[in-house]
Amino acid sequence: MSNYYVRRTARVFATIFAVATLTFGLIRLLPGGPFTQLRAQLLRQGVPASEVDARISNLQNIDPNAPLWRQYLDYMGAVAQGNFGESISLGEPVAQVIAEAVPWTVFVVLVSTILMFAVGIFLGSLQAYWEGSRFDKAFSGLSIGLMSVPFYVVAVISLYVFAYQWGWLPTAGTVGTNVDKELSVPFVLSALEHSLLPIFSYTLGGIGGQALAMRGNSIQVLGNDYVRVARLRGLPDRRIATRYVARNAILPMYTGFLLLLGFRLSGTVILEQIFSYTGLGYYMFAALKANDYPLMMATFLIITVALIVGVYIADLTYSKIDPRISAGGSDEAY
Amino acid sequence: MTTDDPIIEINDAAVTYDGGETFVLDHVSMSIERGEILGIVGESGSGKSMFADSMLDAIPDPGRLSGEIRYHRDDGTTVDVLELSDDELREFRWEEVSMVFQGAMSSFNPTMKIGGHFRETLKAHDADVTSGMEFARELLSDLYLDPERVLTSYPHELSGGMQQRALIALSLVLEPEVLVMDEPTAALDLLMQRSILTLLEDLQEKYDLTMVFITHDLPLVAELADRMAVMYAFQLIEVGDREQLIANSGHPYTRALLNATPDIEASLEEMRPIEGQSPAPINVPQGCAFAPRCPLATEECRVEDPVFTQLDDGHAVACHHAEDARDEIALHFDRSEETVPVSGGGGS
Repeated sequence: MSNYYVRRTARVFATIFAVATLTFGLIRLLPGGPFTQLRAQLLRQGVPASEVDARISNLQNIDPNAPLWRQYLDYMGAVAQGNFGESISLGEPVAQVIAEAVPWTVFVVLVSTILMFAVGIFLGSLQAYWEGSRFDKAFSGLSIGLMSVPFYVVAVISLYVFAYQWGWLPTAGTVGTNVDKELSVPFVLSALEHSLLPIFSYTLGGIGGQALAMRGNSIQVLGNDYVRVARLRGLPDRRIATRYVARNAILPMYTGFLLLLGFRLSGTVILEQIFSYTGLGYYMFAALKANDYPLMMATFLIITVALIVGVYIADLTYSKIDPRISAGGSDEAY
Repeated sequence: MTTDDPIIEINDAAVTYDGGETFVLDHVSMSIERGEILGIVGESGSGKSMFADSMLDAIPDPGRLSGEIRYHRDDGTTVDVLELSDDELREFRWEEVSMVFQGAMSSFNPTMKIGGHFRETLKAHDADVTSGMEFARELLSDLYLDPERVLTSYPHELSGGMQQRALIALSLVLEPEVLVMDEPTAALDLLMQRSILTLLEDLQEKYDLTMVFITHDLPLVAELADRMAVMYAFQLIEVGDREQLIANSGHPYTRALLNATPDIEASLEEMRPIEGQSPAPINVPQGCAFAPRCPLATEECRVEDPVFTQLDDGHAVACHHAEDARDEIALHFDRSEETVPVSGGGGS
């Protein structure tokens, strides 16, 4: 049992290690690349070669003239300390850029994913209780419709309507420009105002899928003998709805929730671009356009780590919430 | 089919799923004696479960139950189960008449411990939880289970036989008068079936229960029951004391059923399956439902549905040719022993 947890934890570090190695390989193996370009540029400007090397080694924590294994060790050592080098395009340490961007993204992803599940589960269970009713049919159709509309379409339309046409909500940014960046009421209000549209468009499309999943699960659970026996035993409807139906129907969706949290982090690349919302995804795209390798690698690493941690938590906790699954069995979450 | 001191009287109970076109329980009347063990036998799809469910007014939706189910309390008062309000029905079930379903494995909430099932049942009926749990432990011990271990286990941690016994204990935790069991042993192996039967007999004696035991396995119930009833095509066709019904049955179907019972000692030629199939609710034949498969059927059988007639004392049959059947259809097993062949059959 404890052996399982040790193995599972070791695997998290092994995966992160592998991803970091891959990102190192990426910059080394790609021909040309920003550093070659930068180096040529600096040399043309008459900067002494030794200084150029020093600057570049500072940017990516790698001494370009050192042997490959040396460069690799330097890079991995720096990453382990949270040092991702310096952003080429922004001229700031990558760690600082990310530290400022991550909270916004985490906020949007967390709130929208929780909302998506909460609303989906609520609607899905209503549908299951009134299976075959007009509400159920209408909503199943709507759910499938919602599922087939990508979130960025919702984002663009809602941005156009609510922000540009009606002017109810801001068009860009995470907080208003005239608000001090400190924890105060105006700051929180402004942050909420700016996050409303991103959260809305990132939530709406996902509701359909969750509602349909919950509907299917609930109908299956409702058909079980134990629900019928519970009714005959005279249990209150409330208890049957929560402890019997909802709990058994939501359980299979728990793993999906944690995985989705990780996956949806990467979806913010497009979302934050549309709303010019300066989170992780926004900087990743900016880095991509600017050939800003250090920043790109760092955002890529962060998103991967988030996904790995999501799976890890799902694996560790699923046996706690579902007694039928014992940790260490063949039933790993992913 | 009246008894001296009935606890449940069923009058003209009928269940329909299509507004009265067809019936899956076709106007059945039966009275159950206080303290007896009644065995109901019938093949799959003969309406046995409907009969069981109707005693608790628990027909699965969207079925509709009509008729009269009269329940006589200990204190002499009588209620019509079908007239009870929702709250009264909620109290009536499990406190007066309780039920064990087929498939104990699916009767427990998989994400709740067995003890939780007991506690929530006690709470739902406003019973004292502490003394109720004490009684639950006693019941589990009676059923040869380790109470502490079972109560703190999740359903999947118990074997099929343990779950079945735990379910029986759960159905008795509010000390009901009547226990209805619908195929309680169908999913179990022969040894476990046998030991559960023995336990049921002990329980019946100790707690003075009335039991209705429903099964497709004739030899199984014949060991346990005081009185037996046979169902065919959604109706009762024969009711009688166990000995009468086994050794001296009057309905051709009952006799054919007895002859179809597999027996380790009987030769293959002696085992006679009944030709044909039992009817579906939409095409129950006119007249006697068994007529198309009956070797004794006459024109009368095909036209007129036979009514229940008294054959011997406490033994009634719905057949036009009950007397002939006894002569014409010989029973293969040795009648002098007055027991049923212990079979290796069962399991549906």
